Amino acid sequence: MSSHQGRVRVRAASSALMGWGFVSPALLLLLAMNLFPLIFNVYLSFTNADLSGGAVKMVGTHNYTVLFSEARYANALTLTALFVLVSVSVELVLGFVLAMAMRDHIPGKPIILTLLLIPMMLCPVVLSLFWNLILNGNYGVLNQLLAFLHLPQPQWLTDDDLKLVSILLVDVWMWTPFMMLISLAGLNAIPKYIYEAAEIDRAGRWMVFRTITLPMCAPLLGLAVLLRATDALKQFDLVMAITGPNDASTQTLSARIYQVVFRDYKVGLGSAYGVVILVAVIAVATIFVRYIDNLSRRQGKVERSVP
Amino acid sequence: MKLLRAVVVTCFFLMAILPLVWLALTSVKTYEDTISAHAKFIPWTGAGSLGQSDAESARFAPTLDAYRNLSKRVAGTPNNFYYYLENSIIIGVLSTLAAVCLGTICAYGFSRFRIPGSKDWLFFILSTRFLPPLAVVVPVLVMYRWFSLENTHLGLILLYTSFNLSLAVWLMKGFVDEIPRAFEEAALVDGYSRLRTFVRIIVPEASTGMAVTGVFCLISSWNEFGFAMTLNNYEAKTVPVYFAGLQGNIEGVPWPQIAAGMMLFVAPIVLFTVLVRRHLLRGVTFGTIKQ
Repeated sequence: MSSHQGRVRVRAASSALMGWGFVSPALLLLLAMNLFPLIFNVYLSFTNADLSGGAVKMVGTHNYTVLFSEARYANALTLTALFVLVSVSVELVLGFVLAMAMRDHIPGKPIILTLLLIPMMLCPVVLSLFWNLILNGNYGVLNQLLAFLHLPQPQWLTDDDLKLVSILLVDVWMWTPFMMLISLAGLNAIPKYIYEAAEIDRAGRWMVFRTITLPMCAPLLGLAVLLRATDALKQFDLVMAITGPNDASTQTLSARIYQVVFRDYKVGLGSAYGVVILVAVIAVATIFVRYIDNLSRRQGKVERSVP
Repeated sequence: MKLLRAVVVTCFFLMAILPLVWLALTSVKTYEDTISAHAKFIPWTGAGSLGQSDAESARFAPTLDAYRNLSKRVAGTPNNFYYYLENSIIIGVLSTLAAVCLGTICAYGFSRFRIPGSKDWLFFILSTRFLPPLAVVVPVLVMYRWFSLENTHLGLILLYTSFNLSLAVWLMKGFVDEIPRAFEEAALVDGYSRLRTFVRIIVPEASTGMAVTGVFCLISSWNEFGFAMTLNNYEAKTVPVYFAGLQGNIEGVPWPQIAAGMMLFVAPIVLFTVLVRRHLLRGVTFGTIKQ
């Protein structure tokens, strides 16, 4: 009996070892390419490192003193927050409206759905470079369309007040279908019998929407918002393509890092900026990870409760 | 209500698709037609004049010159479009293969073995996806200088492999979890080793999942800009960086060539999107929503 138990224990131990054998190559690569640079970045932010490869000296919190005194820092922080807030909420509302419209049968639905999803799969920087041609104030096709409709034709790419709007426009164009896709999954998961019960109770349309549709979609909408927010937080591609990295009216944190490191060659300061953006990303990512954990646990419960 | 829904869907559909249609039209125009103050949107192959006064006509004579010119160098760039496309293909394909292989092996480990703290490890893997390229590019650059990986294909391949691992592991774990354990238990009873079971039983069963995962990894490597721009702005430059560099070209932005190149660059991704359309939801949510 005891020898049997011993054998079981040995097998369990060797099986755990084999498990590590399967997972360790991926984990080692991640530790080397993702975790190490992250820690190294914190170290560099306390040094005077530059890209020319001179001797590296510790400078204490000097980089952070410079960073917090820069007007461009507050500017980048505000712009990034504004970008995340506006892009995610506009995409959420539009995507949800579109999902509501796509909810029931419409002719050609699978084809329409697939075509709608194409922009978000394509290269953001390539597409936004092309948007420069569409948005051009003088010969762009958008302003020609606005002229045809007798609407004002603003200078999308050169007016300081509109540059961020243009970037938001392209982002909303790309990512609204993403919100629609996830909203649609949420809507489709609502069981029909709940609506039938509401009908028997003679609940009004708005009442049904407020007490059934929206709350039952909320978990998936939350997931979509967190996914988009972590992406929007690192916004770099569209800024580079539409205004370049050093435009005060569109300089997000990522664009600021590019400017500081690759144009001004201040690696230490750039690393300090990196630490700031990492803190923000880790905060959002932590919420995200907890959220997914809860969501999958709840989904598991639902699946188990279905006979 | 039905009418309202039709209007909403039509509006969104046109907004999503018209910029891409404009891209396609731009790629068959001449340079003058792309920057015309009178938008040209009707390709007209009829003989003779384009009608009205030619300059104000909405018609234009389509031409494939822009596609032919892709093999020529644009002023101020050392190579033609296909050189950068080749870089994109090499880096995209190799990093995808590596990520899918490592990801499948890792997902199998997490799916079938009791690994202490496995949930924490999985969430660690997921969280690496959120790392902003620009926040870690400085240390990566310094590391790459130690190992002379800057401006090489291998440098970007390693980086893209590790950044795609989160997606590959999470998607593959979903797919491997769906394979019944009875298959491999039968094989193990027959005396197959774990490794042989993995290769002979799991890999064939998971092949659809691996293909879908591969498509998503390829797309994210193909479209990546932050790392490619900062680590690789020379020899192994990829297509997005090449296009970004053409902005503000001394001879004017060569719109028809750019549009033609963009068409060739996005065409495979459009095709892949259509192929994996049933798995899109799963792919964009790291496998947390399965349909």
